[in-house]
Amino acid sequence: MKQKIVKWVLILLGVSFLVIMLVLPLATVLVYALRQGWETFSEAIFDEYAVKALNLTLLASGITVIVNTTFGIFAAWAIAKFRFRGKQALTTLIDIPFSISPIIAGLVFILVFGRIGWAYPLLEAWNIKIVFAVPGIVLATIFVTFPFVSRELIPLMQAQGSEEEEAAALMGAKGFRIFRKVTLPHIKWGLLYGVILCTARSLGEFGAVSVVSGHLRGKTNTLPLHVEILFNEFKLTAAFAVSSILVLIAVIILILRNIVEYRVKREER
Amino acid sequence: MYVELQNINKKFGNFQAADNVSFSIEKGKLIGLLGPSGSGKTTILRMIAGLETPDCGDIIINGQRVNNLPASRRGIGFVFQNYALFRYMTVFDNIAFGLEVQKKEKAYIKQRVTELIRLVGLDGLEKRRPHQLSGGQKQRVAFARALAPSPHLLLLDEPFAAIDAKIRKELRTWLRETINKVGITSIFVTHDQEEAVEVADEIIITNSGRIEQIGTPIDIYKNPATPFAAKFIGESIVVEDYGRFHGFETNEDYSKAILRPEFVRVTKTDQEIYPHASEHGTVEDIFFRGSVLELRLSVGGLKLISYRSLEDDALAVGEEVSVLIYRLYLYNDRQVHLVENSAFKANDAFTI
Amino acid sequence: MIPGFGLSMGITITMLSLIVLIPLLSVLLTLSNTTFKDFWQVITDGQTVATYKVSLSCAAVAATINVVFGILLAWILTRYKFPFRRVLDGLIELPFALPTAVAGISLTTLYSDKGWIGGLFGKIGIKISYTTTGIVIAMIFIGIPFVVRSIQPVLEKLDPQYEEAASALGASRSRIFFKVVFPEILPAALTGFGLAFARCIGEYGSVVFIAGNIPYQTQITPLIIMNKLEQFNYAAATSIALVMVIFAFLLLFGINLLQARINKIARG
Repeated sequence: MKQKIVKWVLILLGVSFLVIMLVLPLATVLVYALRQGWETFSEAIFDEYAVKALNLTLLASGITVIVNTTFGIFAAWAIAKFRFRGKQALTTLIDIPFSISPIIAGLVFILVFGRIGWAYPLLEAWNIKIVFAVPGIVLATIFVTFPFVSRELIPLMQAQGSEEEEAAALMGAKGFRIFRKVTLPHIKWGLLYGVILCTARSLGEFGAVSVVSGHLRGKTNTLPLHVEILFNEFKLTAAFAVSSILVLIAVIILILRNIVEYRVKREER
Repeated sequence: MYVELQNINKKFGNFQAADNVSFSIEKGKLIGLLGPSGSGKTTILRMIAGLETPDCGDIIINGQRVNNLPASRRGIGFVFQNYALFRYMTVFDNIAFGLEVQKKEKAYIKQRVTELIRLVGLDGLEKRRPHQLSGGQKQRVAFARALAPSPHLLLLDEPFAAIDAKIRKELRTWLRETINKVGITSIFVTHDQEEAVEVADEIIITNSGRIEQIGTPIDIYKNPATPFAAKFIGESIVVEDYGRFHGFETNEDYSKAILRPEFVRVTKTDQEIYPHASEHGTVEDIFFRGSVLELRLSVGGLKLISYRSLEDDALAVGEEVSVLIYRLYLYNDRQVHLVENSAFKANDAFTI
Repeated sequence: MIPGFGLSMGITITMLSLIVLIPLLSVLLTLSNTTFKDFWQVITDGQTVATYKVSLSCAAVAATINVVFGILLAWILTRYKFPFRRVLDGLIELPFALPTAVAGISLTTLYSDKGWIGGLFGKIGIKISYTTTGIVIAMIFIGIPFVVRSIQPVLEKLDPQYEEAASALGASRSRIFFKVVFPEILPAALTGFGLAFARCIGEYGSVVFIAGNIPYQTQITPLIIMNKLEQFNYAAATSIALVMVIFAFLLLFGINLLQARINKIARG
């Protein structure tokens, strides 16, 4: 009997914690977004600047995911299927962006491409703008989410060993064929998982982008930055209305992630 | 009776792990629960321990019905197949665990743990951690740990399954001796019939959740009560058409028979004394088994195994030999019936 | 032999250098123009030091609370069944999936004087938004998935026989938990703590709104770097950034060491 009481007290504690910490903030967004009615809501989300911000966010994230997934696959291939010295060091280096504050990530690109950056003279000569322009935003986002796919793939591919790939190589298959036909089927769910994580993080990236963007409305504002501006201007409803788009995307991502995890677990069995 | 199970039933989904199981065990005996994988023996053991609950039926230990008593209060020592030693504690702390639960004094704990470490022969290893021990050493720690709180019943779940074959024999003998020394009622589970026969005072044979037979190893061997028991203990071969052998008549109640290597005597054809009782056979293969030779024979289409001493005259592969079948166990679905070779019995005298 | 080593290593190292290493080295490059004296002055400036204290102490408190609740949540999610368990389990990653800015503004609103929770506490005189308490709450939010997801797989894979052995030896449920289960999940809990702690120190978006950024009181280190940047004081910003980076490395190193040591004990 005592055991049952303990069990339900623990459950109650845990669930309350989650409700307060996770569910309430979500609810806040939705409630405040719709507080002033449907019209105000749609006005905010279809606002010209909001739409432009959304486009920029999607563009930056799209490029980021492609770049980082490509990197992740190559890096995981090199690290998991071969033996060489300095493997641990390489893995640690790749993980660096994971442990650096996003502000520092943004700062770093200013130091390279900004006015005081050492690459600036070069950029000026070619009339390329990076900082306070879209390329800077994309680069910063790439930096921050750099290891997301590789972190998923490396342990996965290491655990799967390289015997099958060796067998294929012995039969004369070339690299891309081996990857496509032998490796990919094994890693597809892990890969998808990493891509989902990378997408989520790049859509929501704020700190790094904040530093390099220059906050030019309509030009260099991502959706999270737009939210910040609205909030700081006390346009609460608008801020939350736009946020709700991001919340919707976040929830979809969570659902996708859960489906993928479920599939991964099923395959492991 | 010290431990009694009455009409125990247990189902896991569609799998009947225990089907109306009843038996009792005397105090101080060392009992082996023997059966193939999935026969329910581990489930029965775990129910006695309190790690599983029966769907219905009673478990009585020392006169007390323990069904509703949790495992922690049954006063039972349990040794797991994979040792289950607490990885983050030293050998000493592992063994002391049960005593600390009993809130014994530090001095007593130290004395008792030291005593047990000596009993299991692990002196000097008190401060080691499980990952620094060999398989055999880990099992002995598990044993000491289970004995430390002076339980009145010791349960062992396939204690040697995870141990190297070489060490297994030694540990077996050691286990039997140590349990006898301590004098504690013990039940162990195994699928290895050689192990059961060597270690146990009495054997309980399980099959598909049911008890096939209970008895001393020799009893079961000599008088198997069911076809399963007959087939399980010792090496048996099924004979379909036993009536064709000299000295045996087809009995319509029993469609098949079981033949054991010890029921067969192989002699060189020119040395056979009972030609009317024996069969012609061919040696198909000979294997060296360390202390005996294993012969694979073909007798009228039937494949037999027999053992031959290294002292006897050598046989060659392909040689024609004489095979005398002393007896057979006839069996049907329910019963086993021992018959002797009538031609052999009748021929007490030599024929010249 | 498997093909593709040259190509994959080449791409890996090139991209790593271009995107991560070279930009990072710019930190040192920029600082080469600063004298050590100036550097020291900036990083030991009163206001800056105050941000270290705020960031570190809030992160430590938040990470600790996350460990306690992380263990609790991992336990109830793996051992018990209750309504909405699956939904809540899936929700754990919300702090990962939700943009930090959105989290930031919604937490701020929720805990502000007129917010649902802030209002309640306001009645008994406790202010949450714009105080260090608010910072801690935002940090707890961010850290939830780190600890829970570190511990959950360990609990799920934990062989029940350890607990059964302890039970057979007479141990009560709480003794079993503290003496047998807890040491098994401690390494994962520590890893989760480290990850959450590191993340909290560097976090910007979720924290910056609720903090209010009152110098010496609720200013976190990432924000003061931002301030210096807005004043175009690149040298100062970079100096403080270097301190953060070094600290992050040391932390990561420490966590890896701890993990390696504990793995040695567990591998038995």
